[in-house]
Amino acid sequence: MSFLGFLDGLGGPHVRDGVIHLVVVLASVHALAAVTAIHVPHIRYLAILPEIVMLGGAVLLLGVASLSDRPVRMSVTTVGTVVISGASMGLAWWQWADVRQHGPFTTVAGAVVTDGFSALIAILASTAMLLTALVGDGYLRREGVEGPEFHVLAMVSASGAMIMGQANDLIVIFLGLEIMSIALYVLAALNPRRATSGEAALKYFVLGSFSSAIFVYGIALTYGATGGTNLAHLTSYLSTHALSSNGVLLAGMGLLLVGFGFKVAAVPFHMWTPDVYQGAPSPVTGFMAAIAKAGGFAALLRVFVSSFGTLRPDWRPIVYVIAIVTLVVGAGLAVVQRDVKRMLAYSSINHAGFVLLGLQAADARGVSAALYYVFTYSFMVIGSFAVVTLLGRSGDVGHDIAGYRALARRQPVLALAFAVLLLAQAGVPFTTGFLAKLQVVAAVVDAHSAPLGFVAMGSAAIAAFFYLRVAVLMYTPRRPRWVPPGREIVFDPIVGPQASTAAREGSGVSGQAEPEIAPGGSLDGGTAEGAVATVPRTLAELRLWSGSERTVAVVERLNADLLIDREAEAVEDGAGGRRVRVPPAAIVAIGICIAVTVVFGIVPGPLVDFTHHSTLLLLR
Amino acid sequence: MVNRETMAQYLAIFVLLALGIVFGAASLVASALLAPRKQPSAAKLAPYECGIIPSREPPQRFPVRFYLIAMIFIIFDIEIVFLYPFAVILHQLRTFGLVEVLVFAAVVLVAFLYLVSNGALSWGPPKRLVEGMGSRTSETTIERVGAGASSSDRAA
Repeated sequence: MSFLGFLDGLGGPHVRDGVIHLVVVLASVHALAAVTAIHVPHIRYLAILPEIVMLGGAVLLLGVASLSDRPVRMSVTTVGTVVISGASMGLAWWQWADVRQHGPFTTVAGAVVTDGFSALIAILASTAMLLTALVGDGYLRREGVEGPEFHVLAMVSASGAMIMGQANDLIVIFLGLEIMSIALYVLAALNPRRATSGEAALKYFVLGSFSSAIFVYGIALTYGATGGTNLAHLTSYLSTHALSSNGVLLAGMGLLLVGFGFKVAAVPFHMWTPDVYQGAPSPVTGFMAAIAKAGGFAALLRVFVSSFGTLRPDWRPIVYVIAIVTLVVGAGLAVVQRDVKRMLAYSSINHAGFVLLGLQAADARGVSAALYYVFTYSFMVIGSFAVVTLLGRSGDVGHDIAGYRALARRQPVLALAFAVLLLAQAGVPFTTGFLAKLQVVAAVVDAHSAPLGFVAMGSAAIAAFFYLRVAVLMYTPRRPRWVPPGREIVFDPIVGPQASTAAREGSGVSGQAEPEIAPGGSLDGGTAEGAVATVPRTLAELRLWSGSERTVAVVERLNADLLIDREAEAVEDGAGGRRVRVPPAAIVAIGICIAVTVVFGIVPGPLVDFTHHSTLLLLR
Repeated sequence: MVNRETMAQYLAIFVLLALGIVFGAASLVASALLAPRKQPSAAKLAPYECGIIPSREPPQRFPVRFYLIAMIFIIFDIEIVFLYPFAVILHQLRTFGLVEVLVFAAVVLVAFLYLVSNGALSWGPPKRLVEGMGSRTSETTIERVGAGASSSDRAA
């Protein structure tokens, strides 16, 4: 009885077919292994050590937390994360010094490159991780989220961004992209008690997976057109082969651009950004904005400027249009947001548009400017979201812009910190934000795309409005409850110009039912902004002005209501207007962000040189 | 230079794309043409078209632990996916391959440990209660369901 016959007897033809199938598969795998000799590539482990430390540290932390009997304390997790990211940052700095001395090099069969560019991205990612660990510590304690998941996932994500910075092969870029993104999907869903958190994660996951698929399709088409995925191969192939009309390559390039555009939130592919940024836990949002943009732009710049460099005439117009739409839509929609997180989300889209200017310039200066922008933006956005995290209060829900009113009176230092970070994002001089915007615009004007520069500056003006609105609001006293039949226009930072408070100024005293008071008796808040001389300020003036006792009676009654309103407001102050607790770790994180933003804004030399050198050390 | 042979390789993709579009469009058209237009009956609209009509809502949520088992399966499934090809070319990869696979296995092991520490394999009452979830275990749920059933019976 043969073997097959035995199988027939055992379980009928199904089993037999299954076994035959298995045998064929096994045989083919063996045959494949036999014909292709495998050359283990040479690996310089020092080149990928920052990633190894970051990823290994994450795994180690998870293992320790899983094996320990009792839950690991949050302070232990945070300190561990800070140490690991610090070590990773140190190694990245060491790489940077090494590359400066000995020049860039590739390893792992040319799939991974270590140059100034990659070292800068690694430094950026590990710094962002360190800051986020400090910000997240307070958040997790406040929300009562236990376990090491936040730190572990963030470290995995950061290592993904570092891999994207070092990737010299489209497949490795995809690998880094997925390592970064999948961890971010989970991080967005980190707080199980907020429904919006889960919604954000699901949206991010579905759309992110879709864009990843498009990205892979782009890799496939590029591979078909050029016969390789290695960036060095692409560069040499495209420079030695004149391509008169290669639709497949262009389609592949376009799909890659779509994939990257999604990750960095450029406009036709930005739909996920506001919902995800708003729904994700605030520290995660800051981290996401910094890391995803850093990783995405690192790979985007390397692939397009370096490998698709010869195709510049083809992709520069596309990037031109995307940059314009991104700038305008980001700035325009941010203006109408009431939720601060959502506003910052649209502002991050606007920032992505600025970085795209550097790509559009498509030369060393543009790349350097884009890198500088991404680097400095990371600090601004992590700092901003750290403040937003604190002000979100327990539950991470208090993000309505109205909650920021009069923050300066309650917590002057926090308000000042947020104001500085917002002004830096707006591009005010003596901050890195100004230099970043200046450099990308200068680069793009140099590259003969002056109109794009003008659009960028216009959008920066629009963006300045909504940053300043929050900043002004923090220094504005509470809004008056009662608006009399108003003639006076006072600018309110939330609702814009509005009718306001003719008799408000008089109200404080006239509410005490003492009609005989001196004109202009008591003044508070908004008068300086736009009091009009013809408007009556006191009941005496009002009597003269209206010539009717009945009007005066109505106003007196309204003033009485106003007093009640004020009492209600005082109660609210007790409940909602409390000072928020600022944990020391968050102070350190915000302090570092502001220090980098301001110090390198006043003394721009070192950081500008740093990004410039990294670009010069870009391996082509 | 257009590489015609390379282009020809992509013919299949375009055929598949066309087929996909045609199939999608045809499905919609066929659905619009063939679907019955009359209103569904009450029985059709019930959550379960067949079976016993539920007299009351299920009184409590109960823990679904099977997804954790599924996660464990996926972890080891992925490990096997990589282990099998590795085993085939073990000799060619020599020490390098062995070390790499051990590292990979260690990472998978940590993932497994994480799942176990989260109670994937402990089916009894949880050792550590998650704050906010109340003291809900399989036993209390069963008790509560039983109590709910008896109380509703009494009400009925």
